[in-house]
Amino acid sequence: MADAANPVTRTNVSRPTTGALKWVMRAPGLFCLGLFLILWMAPILLVLITSVKSNADFLAGPFSLPSALTFAPYKTVWEALGFSTLMINSVIYATLGSALAVILALVPAYALARKNIPGQKIIFALLLTGLMIPQQTVLIPLYDTLRQLSLLDTKLGLIIVHAAYGMPSQVLILRGFMTGIPKELDKAAYLEGASDFQIFSKVILPLALPGIIVGYTLNFIAIWKEFIFGLVFLNSESNFPLTVGMLKLNSDRYMSVFNMPAAGLVISQIPIVIVFILTYRKLSSGQFAGAVKG
Amino acid sequence: MQISNMLGLDWLRQNAFVAVFGMAVPTIIFLLFVGYPILYTVYLSFFSWNGADGAKTFIGLQNYTDMWNDSYVWTALKNNFRWLVVTLIFPVVAGYSIAYVLRARLVPFPALVRTVIFFPVTMSLIAVGLMFLLILNPMFGALNVALESLGLGFLIREWFGDHRIAIYTLAFVSGWAFTGMPMIFYFAGLGDVPKETLDAARLEGAGHFRIATRIALPQLRPVTAVVVMLTIFESMRAFDLVAVMTKGAPFGSTTVLGYQVYLESFWNSRVGYGAAISTLILVLSAGLAALVLSRLMKGAFDG
Repeated sequence: MADAANPVTRTNVSRPTTGALKWVMRAPGLFCLGLFLILWMAPILLVLITSVKSNADFLAGPFSLPSALTFAPYKTVWEALGFSTLMINSVIYATLGSALAVILALVPAYALARKNIPGQKIIFALLLTGLMIPQQTVLIPLYDTLRQLSLLDTKLGLIIVHAAYGMPSQVLILRGFMTGIPKELDKAAYLEGASDFQIFSKVILPLALPGIIVGYTLNFIAIWKEFIFGLVFLNSESNFPLTVGMLKLNSDRYMSVFNMPAAGLVISQIPIVIVFILTYRKLSSGQFAGAVKG
Repeated sequence: MQISNMLGLDWLRQNAFVAVFGMAVPTIIFLLFVGYPILYTVYLSFFSWNGADGAKTFIGLQNYTDMWNDSYVWTALKNNFRWLVVTLIFPVVAGYSIAYVLRARLVPFPALVRTVIFFPVTMSLIAVGLMFLLILNPMFGALNVALESLGLGFLIREWFGDHRIAIYTLAFVSGWAFTGMPMIFYFAGLGDVPKETLDAARLEGAGHFRIATRIALPQLRPVTAVVVMLTIFESMRAFDLVAVMTKGAPFGSTTVLGYQVYLESFWNSRVGYGAAISTLILVLSAGLAALVLSRLMKGAFDG
């Protein structure tokens, strides 16, 4: 995010305050910062600390520091919930589901960005519907469709459903990025005799790559978070994603001492933290916000 | 130019693969998995069906009149609106304040703040729900312990056990997880506000609060519309937190429409009835969205 795009900062020019006074004037801002940080960081930090406490340390209270680090809760909860299966399943759903969603979205996004398709407004309305539809309202027919296709309680079935529901947002995001590519590039390629497909694959796709990465990542996170489709369309524990498998943590067996559910929470978040660290600059700069605004 | 070329047949022949697979496959998948289910849900809402064997009985508006007399549906409906009100205020106000404070460089470490607030957006609501079950636990939870030691013991509540506040607890947890979204959208939007406008206001001696609420915010109406729409859909589809944190307890006081759909369709085998509640969610979401679009957008989606 370029500093040039920061209108408010420049107004400091008209405010020649310095030194201590400056910090006094900033006090409300600093207070807000502290409050926000506590509100949003404390729950996560507390869970992290709880997850490495022994049972005895846990009884000393939520704010006590552990007398020694223990990773026993991680080991126990990993084996008891079968985290290796849950983890692999979630990775499968998130990687393949979002890959399929992006692949399906590429050509429609290109067509919407570059061609005059009749009924564009209707298509946008349909895409927004697909984007916004509450999952509960489609559960019953989807359940029925998956049953008829023998895809109920299969990984493939859930991947296809995730792809179908990821696709609309991918079309909108990719269209946003593709619209930003100068049309002169297409024209130049066209004048040199490139076919539509060549323009698409040689000119547009490489330039849309940042958009593809942003879209793919957002979809990956969305599928990682998704719960209700997995809950309803799957029966076998061997197919459960993390969100469904983790429900078990909310039972007396695990909730009597908090270090185990805390450890489970941390485990479930590790892959997303990795994805987040790799891409958060792109995501949190709000580039996709502009794309979604259309 | 040949006629076949004029009709686009040459193009079609050259690009048949791309055209067919590129456009047809996504369209079919969209219609089969998104379009058809929506219509079929509305259709099913006029039937009585247990979901297992094929016997669907047409019963007209019976499901809807049943809904009118169902106290759980009324509770759920009220709860969805409580949820909506809380999430329209808490995360949107917090998100906008944070975005403004970051844009105005009023705090140190803006990147850190942005990351911390945005991070929960990447967490599943199941994980968020479990986390707050630990934090808000009446016996060992950090919040009550903190209140006690700050001398605010009178604020201590059974955050999930008290049927008068449990739904607000859920809505606040949802807002906590959601705040990163409005923040990101407003952060991007504030970057597009012409700096001359803000400079002028600053020169005239307007404070940050005044600039944020009176000068910047009116220019961000399209962003606000998107944020409000997202919030509406987020609160109308509320489900995950209820499923992991309360399962509608205590006494069904925290049920929401989405949870009633799930219970009726997949536990009580009243599939037609579940479809009717689904249709209600659909109509509410679409109606509220249309209201927001007509009030706030005014042509922002054109072109």
